[in-house]
Amino acid sequence: MKIGRLPALVRTTTFRLALLHASIFILFSASLLAYLYYETAGHLGRQAEAELNAEFGELSAAYRGGGLDRLKQAVTERREARGKFFYLLLDGSGQKIEGDFDVLPLTSAPLGQVVEVNFEYDARTIQGQPSRRSAEGRISRLSEGGVLMVAYDVGELGEMNRRITEVVWRSAAVGFVLSLIGGVVISRSAAQRAEQLAKTTEGVMGGDLTRRAPVFGSGDEFDRLSEQLNAMLAKLERLVISSRSAGDSIAHDLRSPLTRLRNRLEAGLRDTDKDGPRAALVRSIDDVDGVLDTFNAILRLSRVQAGATGSFRRTNVTGITDELAELYQPVCEEKRLAFNYSPQGDLFVLADRDLIAQAMSNLMDNAVKYTPEGGAIRLEARRVSDGDVELVVVDTGPGIPPDDRERAVERFVRLEQSRSQPGSGLGLSLASAVAEAHSGKLVLGDGGGPPTRPGLSVTLRLPAA
Amino acid sequence: MRVIVIEDDADAAAFVKGVLNEAGHAVDVCGDGESGLNKARTGDYDALVVDRMLPGMDGLKLLKSYRDAGGRAPALFLSALGEVDHRVEGLQAGGDDYLVKPYAPSELVARVEALGRRATGDIPTTKLSVGGLEMDLLARTVHRDGQKIDLQPREFRLLEFLMRHAGQVVTRTMLLEKVWDYHFDPQTNVIDVHVSRLRGKIDKDFERPLLHTVRGAGYRLEA
Repeated sequence: MKIGRLPALVRTTTFRLALLHASIFILFSASLLAYLYYETAGHLGRQAEAELNAEFGELSAAYRGGGLDRLKQAVTERREARGKFFYLLLDGSGQKIEGDFDVLPLTSAPLGQVVEVNFEYDARTIQGQPSRRSAEGRISRLSEGGVLMVAYDVGELGEMNRRITEVVWRSAAVGFVLSLIGGVVISRSAAQRAEQLAKTTEGVMGGDLTRRAPVFGSGDEFDRLSEQLNAMLAKLERLVISSRSAGDSIAHDLRSPLTRLRNRLEAGLRDTDKDGPRAALVRSIDDVDGVLDTFNAILRLSRVQAGATGSFRRTNVTGITDELAELYQPVCEEKRLAFNYSPQGDLFVLADRDLIAQAMSNLMDNAVKYTPEGGAIRLEARRVSDGDVELVVVDTGPGIPPDDRERAVERFVRLEQSRSQPGSGLGLSLASAVAEAHSGKLVLGDGGGPPTRPGLSVTLRLPAA
Repeated sequence: MRVIVIEDDADAAAFVKGVLNEAGHAVDVCGDGESGLNKARTGDYDALVVDRMLPGMDGLKLLKSYRDAGGRAPALFLSALGEVDHRVEGLQAGGDDYLVKPYAPSELVARVEALGRRATGDIPTTKLSVGGLEMDLLARTVHRDGQKIDLQPREFRLLEFLMRHAGQVVTRTMLLEKVWDYHFDPQTNVIDVHVSRLRGKIDKDFERPLLHTVRGAGYRLEA
């Protein structure tokens, strides 16, 4: 039968787990009971067997030593000793010579061989009641003709065997039922947790991004799974909200240049621009270029975020910062900013040179833009204690208040104070996306300046190669 | 220069043709890959401007076929795909330069003219000379009117690029790509500052300036 056609109950993990649980339990208890049986009933049986062997061996020795007469004598002696064994000795013609029975219970064995027999016989209890009892024994054909049988009563032994066997089977049955119940109980609780997770994801798929899976604080696998799921949902929610607000921001950011562009073109058309229609066109082109730059930045950011770009190879990031320091030093001097670059030897990580260079260039651009004249910018490249590499840009500008730092990295967020500055508002987002593309992160911090002008430190942290 | 533009978007093609005509170049336009390839093979062109995405045969394939058939005119790719790996594909297909849409007309003209220069004047040389400015590529020295000028390594490379394209407009993006090997535009005027420093070294003590700023386009080194 195909899995898909199984009834619903059988398909549930609960049922399968319960079944598995019961099977394993049965396997274990069966082994245990088998061992128990082997050590009790089995042991008694083996002991009786060994005694029978010894008895038979002694009689055989007597026969070999003194023939039928000696054997007969031995059997007589033993019968009188009233041991646990019964005997029967027949002559070559099948006539009883000596013994507890009158006839052989089974056909005689072939010459020289020993045959095991199980048979029943009539006996009398101590009270004199007739009873039918079972016995086990051996029959051997003697070389001169004649037959010897030695047997013992298995009544007691059989009873014990029977009871042990019965107990074993009963425990197995009870164990099976109990383990099935246990399995259902245990796996039902697991199934309930799974069901809760399923409900959460269903809710989220239904559009409720605020749904979270319950965490019970037990720290078990389900709690861990729930926590992971919740973290993922939180990230998803943030992304959805940020892309929603990114849409708004794009509209907002583009509306003003487009409006300006429209007005310029209109002024050019009516020839009301103070510098004439030509100048209006020239400035219109600048506006359009600005819009295109924003679009390009959005596209590039999306590609980096989607991991669709970049070739990652072992790269010495100090080489990148060396070049950037050289590229930015003159512009810093131009703006009377003290520029300090302190590399720390070769730092190899798995990285895409162009992406890292662009991210760091964005950070340097920001530092140059926001640090007032007379300030200072520091570029650092260092390896921290756990082997990660940090590329840091520190400035003495206004900084970003701790509460705003997380938001500052989001797409298009330009904090109020920076609205007047040119730029797409995507510089930090791109740097952050580049960090994430390298499995690293972008950390914003205090620049270490006085409270009025704390400055900003931006750290691009890349994991050790 | 005689330039063939292979571009399926009629408006874009007309724009490229207009811009290049205005700069004094003769332009033929072709709207699809197949006929563009035939025309490029048979016509005698100084440069090819090829859109990367074409109906029928894409730009990469077109240029590969052209090169395999022995075509040697330098080629500029136009493409909306601007990541480094796209550029690498373009160069591997036999392209000489790669310009990402959208671009400024001055950028296009500068790139095409730089291509023409490469085709005719890019013979191995050890000395460059523009006006009284002389560069010795082996000794890594620069003199102007016999007077030695000390340059940082990057300034040397910057000047070398400008001298190799003397008389042509060179854009900031071209400088970033060819001198710094960066394929993005910084938001600050880093390139301008570097160029003005170089200008300070080569023009400051001389009457006639060599390094000119072309408004809205870039720079031109000219005797």
